[in-house]
Amino acid sequence: MDAAARERLFGVSHAFDNPVTTSVTIAVVGALVVVPMIIWLLARLGRVGDAHRKELFTRFYSWLVITPLILVPILAGAAWTILGIGVLSLFCYREYARATGLFREKAISLMIVLGILLQTFTAFDNWYHFFVALTPLTIGAIMSVAILRDEPEGYIQRVALGVLGFALFGTCFGHLAHFANDANYRPYLLLIFLSVELNDVFAYVSGKTLGRRKLAPKTSPNKTLGGALGALVLTTLLVVGVGHYVFRGTAMDSASHLVVMGIIVSTVGQMGDLMLSSIKRDLGVKDMGVTIPGHGGLLDRFDSIILVAPAMYHYINYFEGIGNGQAMHILTGG
Amino acid sequence: MDKWKLQPARDLGMPLGKRLKSLQRESGLISTGFHFIWWTFVRLYMRVWHRLRIEGRENIPIQPPFVLVANHASHLDALVLATPLPCRLRDHIFPIAAGDVFFETPVVTSFAAGMLNALPMWRKRCGPHDLQLLRQRLVEEPCAYILFPEGKRSRDGSMAEFKAGLGVLVAGTNAQVVPCYLDGCYYALRPETKWPRPHRITVRVGKPLDFSGVSNDREGWLHITAEIEKHVKALMRQRS
Repeated sequence: MDAAARERLFGVSHAFDNPVTTSVTIAVVGALVVVPMIIWLLARLGRVGDAHRKELFTRFYSWLVITPLILVPILAGAAWTILGIGVLSLFCYREYARATGLFREKAISLMIVLGILLQTFTAFDNWYHFFVALTPLTIGAIMSVAILRDEPEGYIQRVALGVLGFALFGTCFGHLAHFANDANYRPYLLLIFLSVELNDVFAYVSGKTLGRRKLAPKTSPNKTLGGALGALVLTTLLVVGVGHYVFRGTAMDSASHLVVMGIIVSTVGQMGDLMLSSIKRDLGVKDMGVTIPGHGGLLDRFDSIILVAPAMYHYINYFEGIGNGQAMHILTGG
Repeated sequence: MDKWKLQPARDLGMPLGKRLKSLQRESGLISTGFHFIWWTFVRLYMRVWHRLRIEGRENIPIQPPFVLVANHASHLDALVLATPLPCRLRDHIFPIAAGDVFFETPVVTSFAAGMLNALPMWRKRCGPHDLQLLRQRLVEEPCAYILFPEGKRSRDGSMAEFKAGLGVLVAGTNAQVVPCYLDGCYYALRPETKWPRPHRITVRVGKPLDFSGVSNDREGWLHITAEIEKHVKALMRQRS
């Protein structure tokens, strides 16, 4: 392992080298301080009821736990980031498997878990080719182990649920881990998490204020066209504003690139949200789990980022390249 | 085109503590791993330490639903009864254990739920609802239970009267009841001792009994209980 790789993986002392990292960290911590004051003030002014206030505080307390869990690994080093994303993938898959009933298929589940573990390893190793290879290989493994029971009835459903689960929580999520192979991964990941989470907030707020026409009433009755468009505009502005500093001096630092990036984050993020709503409607469950009080399951919180991760990865990779100049095959050598 | 048959986990949305004690608990990949380790150890232990002998192994049904029923003389009993069952059924075999012994403290609960795959039966407050849940699961999943109808361990090695709850579980269902007799468990682990002695244990498995034609009412339950008790006692007299 060369010095640059070690620095990227474990170099906590350089966490705040990039001014964007510093600003975003300060802004997020500041928001966590200000938000409870605002809720408290609104309650004092009688703008929110008692039940609503309690719910807002439950959500806020959850954010108080989630935020450091996202922020600290990103700041601490790429190794912790990759590890955190691997763990998150496994927990998200667990929720999905329990909700769809796929968890009863132990052999298929085992293949998916092994696939996710190997993909996490490829991120550590900076071995993108093997990461790509793992998608078809794991699909092959899922299709094969599902035969062993010699029970063709329901075969398509079993393997399809398995392949979908791996595609979403292995491959799509795995792109997030591969971001960590760029020297500049901290601002990249912070930009993604910040814009995707705020995209949800923007959609909620603009939906409350300007939303009239329903977006997809059967899939998600509370979402409105106004909310979606409001989020599109506000998120794009955010991405252009923050992105300019993240990508300063690179090929991505042009208005057109950043606007397209903002549109990608907002639309794909909202699609991820609606995707999970569709899955939940189809299953007839309200939340995917009880992991995060006030939010539901982990997937209810991280649904939008699943689809954004590969879209952003390949958008940036196409124009700018990710992991330029970083040593590959850190652990496997060669 | 038909819709997919998606069936979320029975215990979906339950917090962990409640899940472990729930009659609706289902095993995931990690629990399956624990079951595999635990039961491999138990098999080995039974063979080496107690030189376990199984008579009538061919009487064990190949497919669930079924209930293994036996006399109860020690804490080893459920382990002994589960030993001859095939590995592929591991996640679908549930020893029914006393809630007030096995599901009171977090450590013991984790062991009972995680390793043994036991489901709790609260002896003092077991309502008809719990029995209905067990009955429903037995047929729907389908799964297998290990049950001791005496309701408690024997203090002197003799057999107590069977309780009628067993009848509620199986009356009018296609679940088969397999009467078994455990010989030697009392001497292997007496109620007053802490550690098991290397005493030989023999389990005699009787022919499975079918109660699908029996009515699901008090009369039927008592009939079933009496019938099973008769068969277990017959196995007891069958000294080898």
